[in-house]
Amino acid sequence: MKKIKFLLIAIISLTISYQSFAQNDISPSRKKAIDSLAMEKIRDLSKYISIIGSKETPFSEAKRVIDRTLELFVEDAQMGVSSLHRDEVKYYPIREYLERLMLLNYDQVTIKWYNIQYISDLELQPDGRYVGVITIYQRFEGTTDDGMIYMDTTKKDITIYVERKQTQIGGKLIGFWDVLLGDVRVVETMK
Amino acid sequence: MRYFLICFLLVSSTSLFTYAQSIGEFMGDERALYAETKQINQFIRRFNGEEDIKGERLYIKDKDYHNRKLRKKYLDILFNLKNNLLTDELKETFIDKVLDKKNPIYINFHGGDWFAEVRTIFKYHGKEQTVILFLELQEERVGSKWVITNVYFKPFIDVLDSPDTSEYNDKKFLHPLSHELGFMNLFRIFNDPDSIELYTVNEFKPDYLSIFLFEIKNNRLIFKTVAKVKFHFFQINGWYFELNYFNRTGYNTGWLISNLMQINKTNKEILMKYIYHE
Repeated sequence: MKKIKFLLIAIISLTISYQSFAQNDISPSRKKAIDSLAMEKIRDLSKYISIIGSKETPFSEAKRVIDRTLELFVEDAQMGVSSLHRDEVKYYPIREYLERLMLLNYDQVTIKWYNIQYISDLELQPDGRYVGVITIYQRFEGTTDDGMIYMDTTKKDITIYVERKQTQIGGKLIGFWDVLLGDVRVVETMK
Repeated sequence: MRYFLICFLLVSSTSLFTYAQSIGEFMGDERALYAETKQINQFIRRFNGEEDIKGERLYIKDKDYHNRKLRKKYLDILFNLKNNLLTDELKETFIDKVLDKKNPIYINFHGGDWFAEVRTIFKYHGKEQTVILFLELQEERVGSKWVITNVYFKPFIDVLDSPDTSEYNDKKFLHPLSHELGFMNLFRIFNDPDSIELYTVNEFKPDYLSIFLFEIKNNRLIFKTVAKVKFHFFQINGWYFELNYFNRTGYNTGWLISNLMQINKTNKEILMKYIYHE
């Protein structure tokens, strides 16, 4: 009985010390590595958005890229969009947002990405995953067949979820960090 | 300050274009985007001197981490420079306090004494109406989360905040022998709901958050969207500042201090009441 009690106390104190350690167990070098991984996902997202928005992309290919894009996100992630004239956020599921982008009624569309981005610190959330936000900027140019040009620059604040996972390779458990994208806030800017 | 802004923007126009993690291919002028304080996280880094002039995160081992000169330069541009009510004198007094050589002050994301004010739109009785939610960061056993602490919704206030005390005030009570009648006289209260508060304990204060939850659970309040967010900081002893997001052209943009006040305990309470619409 005493042994069981001792074991229980040991397990509880290990869990507590793991939890207090987990609050800030991401070292600067680990953070840099996670940032790179997250930026890779963002780069993929940017690339996919440019492909989906391009008028040269065939419909079937754009559909395929939308499916690939969704793999970058957690389930039920949403795009929250606001414009210069309307502060209120309009919500779109990611798939709907991408399909709208694909069907935009412009003859020519150019999407470019600025070289500036900001990567927040990672914060631990109650489910044990880390969360961060990466800010990037996109420039959109659409030309209609009668030569009208629509241009905007949007700021995109993209949620990233970072999770420590394990996989078995050759009978050994190997830990790795996995990054998935979450809700995205899109704000039209004055730039 | 102008010198720092020029250096800051010159650096941004050179080194950051080759920033290794960059995603972009745009070759235009990006200085305004660089100068923008893009997240609250960046506001805190700049305020504390945890970001260098190239925008790189500084850690405790880095030479310039919490560097006083760097902080001074950042602090100068973390204010909404278009607000004439933020006088140079007031800003200087604040900056002097924050950069005190012996006792410098830093703000801390997990330090408490700051909260968010979120203007939201809900549908209520068929009409879109503004609901103001107040949220603060709550520390949990693992990690932290934002939680709703208070709510301001005018229709609730209109009904509950000021009972009708205009007439017969002194006659509105349940007499002390009501119990002998099995409280049959309760009908008087409920026939006159406008001043029902007069029949409650002296300390009665409506709990608007509970009413808010009740109305949501009964599907009478339906969330539509978020309209605006700002933050109130009381973390620095003797001071209050408000953070707002400025989406405009130029270099003084993003999350900036839009309001700054020197406060003591009494006017802190008054200010809190003002913010909470109490």
